[in-house]
Amino acid sequence: MIAQTSNRKNKLEKLKQEFDELDVRDRLETLLEFSDGLPDLPESYRARRDAGENRVHECQTPVYMWVEVVDGQVEIYADVPRDAPTVRGFISLLVAALSGAAPADVLAVKPTLLTDLGLVEALGMVRMLGLHAILHRIKMEVQRAVAEAR
Amino acid sequence: MPTTSIESELFVSTDWVNEHRNDDNVRIVESDEDLLLYQQGHIREAVKIDWQTDLQDQTVRDYLSKDRFAELCASKGISDDTTVVFYGDKNNWWACYAFWAFKLYGHDHCLIMDGGRRRWELDGREFVREPEPNYPRGTYAAKDPDLSIRAFRDEVLQHQAAGKSMIDVRSPGEYTGALLHMEDYPQEGALRAGHIPGAASVPWSRAVDDDGTFKSEAELEQIYINEAGLKRDGDTIIAYCRIGERSSHTWFVLKYLLGFDNVKNYDGSWTEWGNLVGVPIEKNV
Repeated sequence: MIAQTSNRKNKLEKLKQEFDELDVRDRLETLLEFSDGLPDLPESYRARRDAGENRVHECQTPVYMWVEVVDGQVEIYADVPRDAPTVRGFISLLVAALSGAAPADVLAVKPTLLTDLGLVEALGMVRMLGLHAILHRIKMEVQRAVAEAR
Repeated sequence: MPTTSIESELFVSTDWVNEHRNDDNVRIVESDEDLLLYQQGHIREAVKIDWQTDLQDQTVRDYLSKDRFAELCASKGISDDTTVVFYGDKNNWWACYAFWAFKLYGHDHCLIMDGGRRRWELDGREFVREPEPNYPRGTYAAKDPDLSIRAFRDEVLQHQAAGKSMIDVRSPGEYTGALLHMEDYPQEGALRAGHIPGAASVPWSRAVDDDGTFKSEAELEQIYINEAGLKRDGDTIIAYCRIGERSSHTWFVLKYLLGFDNVKNYDGSWTEWGNLVGVPIEKNV
């Protein structure tokens, strides 16, 4: 468990380092690659999405997200339209960095993540609100899942 | 193929863009809400100019200085006499915003591609996922900002106190004060909700059809002149929304499609007004 925790921390830290070494153009390109790579919503969630469950209302685009804690590990599943690549890319990045993490590690993600990834510079201040809201939402859901398990 | 009855040199069809996109004196510019959309796929010849990271100063809430605007244009292969055609997502909000910013710096030949990305896509035309094309540097000398199209806070206060025409182009919920932003957007950015007293409510979206193209002149006259009571040759009209993007769309409609003499965009909009101490606000939830 301890080894896994540090691995997971390393994953987000590694991403921050990678982004830090990129110029603005390549950061955007990387975010677009994340957008391309967002895993499809698992079959078992699709009916719930179609019924309108778990829509992230903080987002302007129709984003559906499930954050669960199973056997002490956080799992994130999301459905984001392809014509919203910025939101899709950021969620995909979070899925890659945080899926399988311990709840405590997700809760410890700093609210300055977007700045740390250099995305404020790349995307501009006005685009940050919605993206912040996604991270906040994931943390709230993890907190709720942990509280419910107690 | 939807066409509009308005005879205007200010907007062109996707057909026109398709025919002229390789012209030497034409530059196609994409401006979107989602910054990555251009990279994901764009009109082959188009360059990207982002309303936020390119046109705005990143420290002070304002537009680029004249010199930096000139540098931006030159770097995109735009010269003073280039015809710049804007298009984008979200029914051309950001395209209209970029158009407005170009007019602010006195660029002469600006056009909007009617219907934006959506119309281009509906027409089954090609989007390419390629790096931004590199054009030979343009020669650009920006003019001083044309403040006849931009309204600032104090001017809006005086305008309001004098009971002059204003148009609030946000959604009905934002106008009445039930919401701080459009539905499904983060409800942040202003501490008070409502509208500037005296402003007529005409949501920007009433100006476009379902495919994102502009409505006919007769339909637009009905909405803005007959219903909202705006006068073509009267006092200055100030348009506002939340951050000035939707109102630049309405500004375009009033000034260019309906030929109003004096229309200003208040780009401070609700994120400024709704945070000011002591200014009048009206609510009717």
